[in-house]
Amino acid sequence: MNVWIRSLAILIAAFVAAPMFIVIPMSFSSAASLAFPPPGYTLQNYVNFFSDPNWTQPLTNSLLIGLGTVCMTMLVAVPASFALVRHVFIGRTVFNLLIMLPMIVPTIVMAIGYYIYFGQLRLVQSYLGVILAHSCIALPMSTLILTAALKGFDRSVERAAMNLGASPFTTFRLITFPILRPAFTVAGLFAFIASFDEAVIGLFISGRDKATLPRQMFNAVRQEADPTISAASSFLFLLVLAGVCIWLAPQLVRRRTRLLGQTDGNGAAQPAAATS
Amino acid sequence: MKLRTSPVFVEGPMPLIAPAVMFLSLFFLVPLGYVVWMSLSQPVIGLQNFGRLLNSSLFASVLYSTFKTALLVTLLSLLFAYPLAYAAANGSKRFATFLLTVVALSFWTSYLVRTYAWMVILGNQGPVTALLSWLGWDPAPKILFTTFSATLAMTHALIPFMTMSLFAVMKRIDPLYVRAAENLGAHPLRAFVSVYLPLSAPGIVNGCTLVFITCLGFYVMPVLLGSPRDQMIAGIIGDQIEQTLDFGLGSAISIVLLALTLAVYAVYNRFFGLDRLWAGGDR
Repeated sequence: MNVWIRSLAILIAAFVAAPMFIVIPMSFSSAASLAFPPPGYTLQNYVNFFSDPNWTQPLTNSLLIGLGTVCMTMLVAVPASFALVRHVFIGRTVFNLLIMLPMIVPTIVMAIGYYIYFGQLRLVQSYLGVILAHSCIALPMSTLILTAALKGFDRSVERAAMNLGASPFTTFRLITFPILRPAFTVAGLFAFIASFDEAVIGLFISGRDKATLPRQMFNAVRQEADPTISAASSFLFLLVLAGVCIWLAPQLVRRRTRLLGQTDGNGAAQPAAATS
Repeated sequence: MKLRTSPVFVEGPMPLIAPAVMFLSLFFLVPLGYVVWMSLSQPVIGLQNFGRLLNSSLFASVLYSTFKTALLVTLLSLLFAYPLAYAAANGSKRFATFLLTVVALSFWTSYLVRTYAWMVILGNQGPVTALLSWLGWDPAPKILFTTFSATLAMTHALIPFMTMSLFAVMKRIDPLYVRAAENLGAHPLRAFVSVYLPLSAPGIVNGCTLVFITCLGFYVMPVLLGSPRDQMIAGIIGDQIEQTLDFGLGSAISIVLLALTLAVYAVYNRFFGLDRLWAGGDR
C-alpha cells in the first residue's frame, strides 16, 4: 500500500486515539479546574472516586442496573432469537421490526416517554425502572448477536442427542447452550455495556439516590465543580484500554506461535496455522 | 420412529415470541404511545402543540441547525473514516489490527469520558488555547461551548461507527478488480475512482445513514459542549423536561424528531432494505 495512505491513516488514527488519553494525566491533577498541563499531581481524585458516596453510590447503582439489564435482556432476547432463526411464522417481519425498534427510536424520545409513564407507575427513581428501560435499549443488539450465532449452528448435533433419548431440556442444557455459550457471553456483555454507558435515560429517570454513573458524570461535567470526574473518566477509559488489550492479546500470541511454527519447518507450522 | 424436529422446549414459536412481544409492548410501545398522546393532549386535546412549533421561528432555526450539524458531522466523519477503513482493509494484517484496535478503543469509550476529554483539550486553560496564544492569537478565541466544539466532538465520536460500516464492505472487495483495471492501463487514481469507490458505495451509504441518524438525536455532546444559543433538537427536548416542564411541547418536539428519523430510515429501506443496515455494521 501507498506510503501516503499509510501515513494518512496513522495521522487519523492518532486523531481518533490521542484526545482520550488526556484524561489519564488529568486524573492525577491537583487543581480543581480543567487546567492542562496540571499544576501539580495527587491521587486525591481517585481517593474521592472510591470513597465519596456521591461517586461510589452511582458506581454501585450502575453495576447493579447493568447486571439487572443483562438478566432481563437475555430472558427476552434468547427466546426471540430462537423464534427468529428456527421458525417461520405469520408476522415474522413485524416481530423482527418490533425487536429492532428501540435501536431506531432516538433515546431522548424514549427518555421523555419513560419520564411520564414511569412517573405514573411510580417507577421513577427506582432500579427496576432504569433496568426495564435499559433492557429495551440493549435488546436489538443482543438479539442480533444471538441470531447471527444461531444461524451458524449445526442442528444435527441436537437431533443426535434427541435420537439418543435426551429430552428437549437436556438437549438444550448439554448440547445447545454449551455450543452457544460464547455468543451468550458476548450478547450479555453488550447488554451490560449498553446499560453501563447509557446516559440520557439514566439522566432523566434515575433520580438522585438511584443515580447512574453516567448521570453523575454528566452533572459533574455540566457544573464543572467536582474534579473527581477526571478519576471517573480515567478509570472508565483504562477499563476499556484493558479490555481492548485482553481482546488483542490472543491475536498477538497466535501470530507469535505461527511465526515460531514457520521457523520449525512445515510439520510444526501446520497445527499452529490450524488453530488460528 | 418419529423424529422430534423442534428441539427447544416447545413445538410452536408462540412461547418464544410472547416474552419479547409482552415486554416491548409494556415497556417500549406504551411509553412511546404516551409521547404521542401527551403531544396531542397537553394541556388540552388538539394539535395546538404542533401549531406552536410550526409558528415558532426559534424551532425552525433549531431544526435548521440540527440538520446542518448532522450533515456536516456525517461528511467530516466520512472524510476521516474512509482512509482509515481503506488502510485497514487493504494493508498488512498487522497494520489492520493496529488501526482497528484504535477504532475499537474509541468506540467502547463512554461518550461522557470523551466529552470530558474535549472539555480539557478545548477549555480556556487547555492545550489548544495555550497553543493559539503562543502563536500570537491574543486574546485566544473561545472554542469551548460553540457549535465548532460540539461538531468536532461528535465527528470524533462517530468516526468509529463510520469506519466499521466502511470496513465491513471494503473487506469483501476483491483486490483483483482494481489490479485488473490497472493492468488494463488505468492510472491508480482512475482505478480507485471508477472501480474501488463504486464498490465501496454500500458502506458509504450505510455509514452515512447511521451517523446522520445518530447525530439527529444526539443529546450528551451538543448539550455539554455546544453553544447554549445554538441548540440541537434533542437539547430542547431535554429543556422541556428539566426546565419548563412543558411535556406537551416536549412530546410534540419528540414526535417531530421521531418522524424525521423514521423518514431517513424509510428512504434507506426503500432503496436498500433495512436488514442490511445492521448486518454489516457488526459492533
